[in-house]
Amino acid sequence: MNELIIGRYLPGNSWVHRLDPRTKFVLSLIFIFAIFLATNVWGYLLATIFTLLAVALTGLGFRVFLRGLRPLLLLMLITTVLQLFFVQTGTVLWHWWIFTITTDGLLSTGIMFMRFVLIIMFSTILTLTTPPLAIADAMESLMAPLAKIGVPVGELALMVSIALRFVPTLMDEATTIMNAQRARGMNFNEGNLIQRAKSYIPLLIPLFINAIKRAIELGDAMEARGYRGGDNRTKYRQLQAGPRDYIAYLAFALFVLLLLGTHWLPGMVF
Amino acid sequence: MAIHFEAVDFTYQADSPFATAALHDVNFTIPEHQFTAVIGHTGSGKSTMVQLLEGLLVPTKGVITVGDRQITPKTKKKELNQLRKHIGMVFQFPEAQLFEQTVLKDVMFGPKNFGQSDTEAQALAQQALRTVGMGPEFDQHSPFELSGGQMRRVAIAGVLAMQPEMLILDEPTAGLDPVGQAELMQLFARLQAEGNLTLVLITHQMDFVGQYADHVLVFDQGTVIKEGSPESIFADSDWLRNHQLDLPIAKQFADALAAKGMDLDHVLDLDQLTAQLARALKGGPHE
Repeated sequence: MNELIIGRYLPGNSWVHRLDPRTKFVLSLIFIFAIFLATNVWGYLLATIFTLLAVALTGLGFRVFLRGLRPLLLLMLITTVLQLFFVQTGTVLWHWWIFTITTDGLLSTGIMFMRFVLIIMFSTILTLTTPPLAIADAMESLMAPLAKIGVPVGELALMVSIALRFVPTLMDEATTIMNAQRARGMNFNEGNLIQRAKSYIPLLIPLFINAIKRAIELGDAMEARGYRGGDNRTKYRQLQAGPRDYIAYLAFALFVLLLLGTHWLPGMVF
Repeated sequence: MAIHFEAVDFTYQADSPFATAALHDVNFTIPEHQFTAVIGHTGSGKSTMVQLLEGLLVPTKGVITVGDRQITPKTKKKELNQLRKHIGMVFQFPEAQLFEQTVLKDVMFGPKNFGQSDTEAQALAQQALRTVGMGPEFDQHSPFELSGGQMRRVAIAGVLAMQPEMLILDEPTAGLDPVGQAELMQLFARLQAEGNLTLVLITHQMDFVGQYADHVLVFDQGTVIKEGSPESIFADSDWLRNHQLDLPIAKQFADALAAKGMDLDHVLDLDQLTAQLARALKGGPHE
């Protein structure tokens, strides 16, 4: 679990850290769609350069991002290797029984892999440089138009920020309870599947009960402090887009245009 | 089981960007069959140290000797399971670990995990529940129907039922009322004396340290800065205050008397204080 870097926040004060969280949120989404516009070597080259540039701007160092990829490597390999055997067009390089490796297969496997790496790297930029609460604020702000069609945006945002706030607390509590049960002789991760599933009961029941208790206490504390629902509240943390954000949007627009432009460049087309 | 820490380091999530050093160059001894108190302010590494003791963590550097066993950074997690049978650990707010349908079953959980049969476990559980002062009428209750103080007793019984040779208590009296605190501390002191247990107590309450401890470890910034008898630890009041630590109330009073010219020696708890005062007054101007 410690290896997984997705969803964690590393404090810093880089150019990317200081961007408006909404900008980062929107741009990450755009990137995921934009990456599918890359259809040849040039497109991927451009996307890679762009990603590396963004990574460099976070000031967190390249190694942190590579480390984040490691736990997902197996998943990426399984998916891409399947691709390798399912693409049957192109020149046959190797053939055995029902397995055939072709040049096209090899290429599309490489592309798939690259796409995974780029998407994961880019979306880790958002979570690594943005505190969870800022992400919740960004989501609330971006969902604001949905309030007009009756979506309870305020409540959703409150739930998201409370959930995010309690993730580390619950994690700590889970670790403590796990340790306490281990001290009482419980062995987690041992035995067959059923025994393993059963061994989590002494962890899950206390965790649920404590979460319910905590919810009751939090609800009481909120009411005692005058919380009466989402309507007509003011906000302490105001999001404000600045020149930096416009530059980021501009850079992205340029990136997408260039990416579209690569379609007309000569080269291998997938 | 005596315990030695030799040049122990511990870093959480070592080799990751989230690495945080909790302990560095920790050296101390926990003597067998004694009451050892661990003091130091929040975040000084006390709780990390007890998790190392219990074998829940292995050191990143150094050697921990527990009885005839050695724990090094290379020790396998599986070997540590056997260690836990001998060392009972009561975590902070232990009532959060209850999960079974009945109080009795929950206390039986520990002994059963270490291979006791149902009947043996039940006998041990009942014995432990009586020890902590929970009558038989509670045996079939759900642990979640109990009050906070009762839940804490049941959780402690769950550890005692494993009949550990060593008992580690991480702030066992936190959040209890004064009477409950005093009762629990008396219980632990009695268990230690009668059962010849090795007891390790982490606490912020210096009165209990003065009253019960045989041996004291002072933690600061991830390492042990002083080790010795309560007398030697509490002898230097200014040094303790500089390390943001308190003194037992009796010692504070004795210090105040000393400032007015009345020197008392060996004052750690109220009993000693009153005895000394009575002696000083009797032997004073009246005679």
